[in-house]
Amino acid sequence: MEKAIRRYWPVFVLPTMAAFLIGFIIPFGYGVFLSFCKFTTVTDWKWRGLENYRQILFVNGQLDTDFLHSLWYTALFTVVTVIIINVVAFTIAMLLTKGIRGTNLFRTAFFMPNLIGGIVLSYIWLMIFNSVLEKYDMTIVTTKWSAFWGLVIVVSWQQIGYMMIIYVAGIQNIPGELIEAAKIDGASGWQLLRRVTIPLLMPTITVCTFLSLTNGFKLFDQNMALTGGNPGRSSQLLALNIYDTMYGKTGWEGVGQAKAVIFFILVAAISLIQNKLTTSKEVQQ
Amino acid sequence: MKKAMSILLSGVMALSMLTGASFGVQAAEGRVYLLNFKPETDQAWKALAKTYQDQTGVEVNVLTAAAGTYSDTMRSEMSKSSAPTIFNIGNTAAAQTWNDYTLDLAGTSLYDHLTDKSLTVNYDGKVAAIANCYECYGIIYNKTIVNDYATLDNAVIASADEIRSLDTLIAVAEDINARIDEINDEFGYDLIEAFASAGLDDGSSWRFSGHLANLPLYYEFLEDGCDLIAGEEAIDGTYLDNYKKVWDLYVGTSAANPKTLMSGTLNAEMELGMGEAVFYQNGDWEFSPLTNPDNGYLVEAEDLDMLPIYFGVDDENEGLCVGTENYWAVNAKASQADIDATLAFLEWVITSDEGRDGMANAMGLSVPFDTFTGDYASKNAFAAAGARYMAEGKTSVAWSFNATPNVDTWRKDVVTALNAYTDGSAEWDGVVSAFVDGWATQWQLAAQAAE
Repeated sequence: MEKAIRRYWPVFVLPTMAAFLIGFIIPFGYGVFLSFCKFTTVTDWKWRGLENYRQILFVNGQLDTDFLHSLWYTALFTVVTVIIINVVAFTIAMLLTKGIRGTNLFRTAFFMPNLIGGIVLSYIWLMIFNSVLEKYDMTIVTTKWSAFWGLVIVVSWQQIGYMMIIYVAGIQNIPGELIEAAKIDGASGWQLLRRVTIPLLMPTITVCTFLSLTNGFKLFDQNMALTGGNPGRSSQLLALNIYDTMYGKTGWEGVGQAKAVIFFILVAAISLIQNKLTTSKEVQQ
Repeated sequence: MKKAMSILLSGVMALSMLTGASFGVQAAEGRVYLLNFKPETDQAWKALAKTYQDQTGVEVNVLTAAAGTYSDTMRSEMSKSSAPTIFNIGNTAAAQTWNDYTLDLAGTSLYDHLTDKSLTVNYDGKVAAIANCYECYGIIYNKTIVNDYATLDNAVIASADEIRSLDTLIAVAEDINARIDEINDEFGYDLIEAFASAGLDDGSSWRFSGHLANLPLYYEFLEDGCDLIAGEEAIDGTYLDNYKKVWDLYVGTSAANPKTLMSGTLNAEMELGMGEAVFYQNGDWEFSPLTNPDNGYLVEAEDLDMLPIYFGVDDENEGLCVGTENYWAVNAKASQADIDATLAFLEWVITSDEGRDGMANAMGLSVPFDTFTGDYASKNAFAAAGARYMAEGKTSVAWSFNATPNVDTWRKDVVTALNAYTDGSAEWDGVVSAFVDGWATQWQLAAQAAE
């Protein structure tokens, strides 16, 4: 058997490898290459070297703060949503594993927002926000902070249900005997949570923070539909800023591509660090 | 004059030599080959071509390029031996590219029939191309309501026709806005405002950062003597005070809250359609949605008319903002017989019953030739208004906003500044800066990118 696998492994691996190569590795490599070029269509390029990367920050010798603004705005947005989503999702998951009546109904209801696409969801929220804010002579895009909290609310509302389901699964996996043993030993509710539940939930927390972190950084649909970057470009998250560079300015496709490469490195680095940090806290049962 | 004469003569000589060369090869009546620009008119053009061929025996071919591929198709077709004899030139830049191929159309009957001579692409001292259809925009208004208003005591005007300048328009709009209850009581309307809401969300802001911004650009280009469509690298914003005046009129006589214009919940088309508003800045493409019974609007086709966007600069002579990307150019490199056949075909199209019916009814275009009257006049009330202003000798305002560099970026900055000014969080200077400085910056960036 093992011998057969050793001999025939290409038959099993190659189709997947080929698909991965064609669908991912080659476009990715080509994308990185294009970030050093000036191009309008991807087959018609001209080498520019590092010029595109310089233009991310310096345009005609002047500092262009658009990208930096998007960067810190996105970072702040991600931090806020990661905390809100995980804390709330965890709390709801705890409540919904206590066996209260209607648990299944609640779980379904909380999960529902996740089934609606980001664009549709944002347009619906846009109407809700604006009809309420109208009373205060405001719209969701009056300032970059109203836009910020609007985005936080929509994204949290959408993702809490999803993370809740993962937390519920994690909590249900904790062996009942451990909890029971801790209770017999006289642990208080807080001690139970702090010393038993959370350590045993670390793998789930790793997954959930990873998902909410990358989702926060990559957010595009909701940003586009809810604020469109308004007022001006001050509520543009990174993905929308890249899109706007690519399509909003003639001849700036290469700069957009360069921003996308930086964006990739950033998201990859941060999620690797996060993964390492939370994984190191995981305990063996 | 002498020089022009000698150029003309040598041109004729060269052409006659060409004809002589091709004489034995080709049938004397020549052939016509139209490379069509508008995909939606393909069937109608083929039908016209067949009719003409049946009537005269002249061979007429029509090829339509798929949307967005015109320049590619044209490049390959023009290099063939039987190249198109009629092709589309969209703007001055294209006329520059194809300068060797464009025949001077001045003096042709096509040019003579053109109602507004500004609807041409002029390049290198010749009329390189002539528009075959156009779109227009201005201030749509409900004529019935305005005329009813005019019968009130102390009305500013006695009839809608008296609105012939920005000052009159402002006076009328302000008076209507102040006397809404009186008008509603008297005539049973449901008016809530004079001007329909000026939404600054992405679905509506182009009306002001694009179409309204066209006027200060146009008048400045006109003053500077540069190409009205190609524009110039730096602008002074000479007419931005007028822009402010018009914008203040739009916002000041509308019921929409100036602080929440970006909300995206405003629907100006509906306000006019339901008889809640009297004035609404937009284009002739609005005629169909406004009169389509499926939309359930209350306005009727005969209520609708369009005013030029009076700008307080040259109101007396100003017409609607009229523009197009559809211009016919005739291939100068074709044989003389082909050129003659082509010009005869085009003349037939704009003068014969079949041709006029094809363009005006089958294709549904607004056509800028004086032969399109009566049954062939556009059914679109706004296009008809455009034709009326042209016939009165008013000058159509060119689509100068086509010159905008990095158009999305520039407009976004203008809209942001306009919104900040309107909600009271910033001064008008911000708009001027976004308009003028933004123009120079984006022009420079676009020019660098083109290198």
